[in-house]
Amino acid sequence: MRLKITGGRIYDPASGWQGEVRDLLIEGDRVVSRLTAADRIIDAKRKMVVAGGIDLGAQVATYGATFLYLLNGGPTLRELGLAYAFLGYTHVHEPFLTPVTAALVHRRLAALPIVDVSASLVLNLRDLDAWLKDRDRWGEIAETIRFLLEKTRSLDVRLVEPFVRYRQEFYAHRNIYPDEALDILTRLALDHRLKFIVQASPDVVNASYLEPRAFHLAGLSQALQNGGAGAAALRHLDAGVTADCGLYLPRPDPGPQIKVDLGWYQPLNLNPAIFRQQARDALDLALSYQGHNLAFSAMAPTPVREYPELFTWLLDRTLRQKTWGKETAEREYSLSDWTRATRTLPAQILGLTDRGHLQPGARADVAIYDLSEGKKPRLSPASLRRVHTLIKGGEIVIDNFQLVKPDAAKATYFRRTEAQATALVADICQYRSFRPESLWVPDELGGPWVGMD
Amino acid sequence: MELKESIICPGCACLCDDLDIILENGRPVAIHNVCTWGVGKFLAEKKLRPNKERRRLTDPQISRHGRAEKVSYEAALGEAAAILTQARRPVIYGLANSGAWAQEAALALTANLKARLEPADLAFMAPFYQAVQKHGLFWAPLEVIRDEADAVVYWGANPLHSCPRHAVRYAVFARGRFTERGIEDRQVAAVDIYRTELAGICHPYIQIDPFQEAALAEAVMASLNGHPASEDAPADADKLAAFFANAAYGVIFCGRGVAYGGPQVFDRLAALAARLNEKKPFVLFPLSGDFNSAGLYELLLRETGSPFAPDFADPAAPTSQASPVDFQEVDAVLVTGADLLWFLQAEQVQDLKKRQVPIVALSPFADRTTAQARVCLPVALDGIEAAEIAYRMDGLPVLLRPVASASAPPAHRVLADLNLFL
Ligand code: SF4
Repeated sequence: MRLKITGGRIYDPASGWQGEVRDLLIEGDRVVSRLTAADRIIDAKRKMVVAGGIDLGAQVATYGATFLYLLNGGPTLRELGLAYAFLGYTHVHEPFLTPVTAALVHRRLAALPIVDVSASLVLNLRDLDAWLKDRDRWGEIAETIRFLLEKTRSLDVRLVEPFVRYRQEFYAHRNIYPDEALDILTRLALDHRLKFIVQASPDVVNASYLEPRAFHLAGLSQALQNGGAGAAALRHLDAGVTADCGLYLPRPDPGPQIKVDLGWYQPLNLNPAIFRQQARDALDLALSYQGHNLAFSAMAPTPVREYPELFTWLLDRTLRQKTWGKETAEREYSLSDWTRATRTLPAQILGLTDRGHLQPGARADVAIYDLSEGKKPRLSPASLRRVHTLIKGGEIVIDNFQLVKPDAAKATYFRRTEAQATALVADICQYRSFRPESLWVPDELGGPWVGMD
Repeated sequence: MELKESIICPGCACLCDDLDIILENGRPVAIHNVCTWGVGKFLAEKKLRPNKERRRLTDPQISRHGRAEKVSYEAALGEAAAILTQARRPVIYGLANSGAWAQEAALALTANLKARLEPADLAFMAPFYQAVQKHGLFWAPLEVIRDEADAVVYWGANPLHSCPRHAVRYAVFARGRFTERGIEDRQVAAVDIYRTELAGICHPYIQIDPFQEAALAEAVMASLNGHPASEDAPADADKLAAFFANAAYGVIFCGRGVAYGGPQVFDRLAALAARLNEKKPFVLFPLSGDFNSAGLYELLLRETGSPFAPDFADPAAPTSQASPVDFQEVDAVLVTGADLLWFLQAEQVQDLKKRQVPIVALSPFADRTTAQARVCLPVALDGIEAAEIAYRMDGLPVLLRPVASASAPPAHRVLADLNLFL
């Protein structure tokens, strides 16, 4: 299909386009610079044209998440895929996949319609503790991480607990405290060209220095448990570390607890209480940072359908005041800021080089929203809630607000490393109840797969 | 002779993945690391009577006036489709012993038929999910339980019968990361209305009067809360409370026996687990023996948002029912992944017979249900003769790879074909 999107305001921070009216051309599944003829011309006058959205932190396939249906009643994965599409998203990234839960995560991601998907492999540093302290073995650790990435079909590596801490007193001598662990991880990353997504916490954010080449900070809001952490977070961002903000909707009384123990020091709380002050602190941080290193993300259990509410807090001071009163920051995100936070930067963080922008060669994942044209163009809450047109891989999925292609092609993206099994892999697997060959995700348990080098 | 290693056994929800199988002429002849139950599954022997061969169904059949007649696959599908589409209240029953692809195909068929899908173990699992709705849950995969749990309780469960290697691989004798000495690093207790083989390894082993289980859980809770036991509290509640209090990380595995005490038993156990979780991790874990029960509930939650029986009678507003179906209302049944007539009470079976409720049965073996079925469709053995996906009891899926050739199509294909005939 050859498409010409004409007359729209194009926002693409990667290209420096800040709402210029220009045409966007698509041939097959790519954005192109020239087109001899178009099969269809899409009139995008008074509309915003951006790359498809990328959700960095959607807990849509986390082990145990189905128990939340019992409390909240849905949405089903089908409804969730549609909800993402109507918000203009084309890629969803699950943050919590472990070697043991990989197959389950991929089964669920495969059942999410329309959007492309990927997942982070969560490393439990406890599995590596003795090896981490021995620099001679770092090469093997790096090879092991790459091997696990490919075998679990994950896109990147995440550390929920960047430390080693045993619940059992008997093993306390093997603990590695966050400062030491971050120091080791920095050198490991730099020596072996790895990058870690680190789940933010006060310990992490209060580290004196985080190497931007080694770390991305996920869910920055989780670190804001005291006033100082906000300033520390801004310092890291200014120093070049990327982060995603992790906004919340307040939810002080979420009902019964659902906690899942994935073998970490703390269980994963899938239904936490979110207090108003927490949500407010997260918003304040997102508004106070003016640079280019902070991506948008929402913390679970914020429902996807509520993302527009979070977007309006960023984009519109007047609407923000309805929830937060007059005392919030004056700043409003520009449409370019919002595009960068929801598209450009998430694609860079995930290493999806052909997404998140609209330069020739980019994958043709495009969202078109109605704009209110006043003194300056604005996205109204209504247009944030329902994209006018969604194009995915060059195919029109939503046309004039209607879903026209519910079975749009989709894929699961993972890192292809061709790394070999190591002695450490055997070490890690010795405590599993599965044999290793049952742990590695076969084709049939997910996909269709796209391996990225 | 051919050796196949690391084969996954679809004998029960343990889904042991360490079987090494020797094949001769494409059929398994010897199996290592397997329980007798698993052997029976691979060698097509009767579950409780090893060495007694189970009769395979070989051809599609239609029964008319009590006489079974071999027919073509298409004719059987046509007859099955006619029965199910003409029914006012059709039910698709079973599926806990079906692979995930078969379950998906059955759900699609159910929706298309405006029918109800009835999981074979709904009476057991629905109260568990209702209890979670009310009290929340602390959950862990068997992986973590094996590594961490130092206190294991089997409540209304005899794993030696429902999932024979459970104690060895995951819970009692298994050597986990922090339980390296197996049972020596664990305390094991059991609560049951009978004295079972577990009594030898469980201390305390609490044999309780039927219908006293909820009261026992309440008495344990009261004891943990520092309240004196009431006079009519079941004996041994204090012992069990002390057992819980001493645990660092616990798990209560609940068996089907819990369902016989009424839904309040799960409710009290979930409340107890929530109370224990205020201080330490305590997992409440239903032990459904059927090899892919967990896959069925995962599918229902994922696709319908509810773990209960989906009912598409009103396609515009499908509902989910926590109570088991009233078979007196049912006028046609498709059974797959279960032996319905073995499961039902005698009077329910009589009622179905009296009303001549037609049954469409998909099964690899002849059983009580196929004996009464209007239409029989032989299927391959999921995970032995046909590839399938199954979810271990902790909800983790694995791919079952076939080890032997099949003479019948897999159930998921039959269900998908039947859907085309509607
Ligand atoms: S315990 Fe279950 S899965 Fe394991 S070998 Fe026995 S029947 Fe098969």
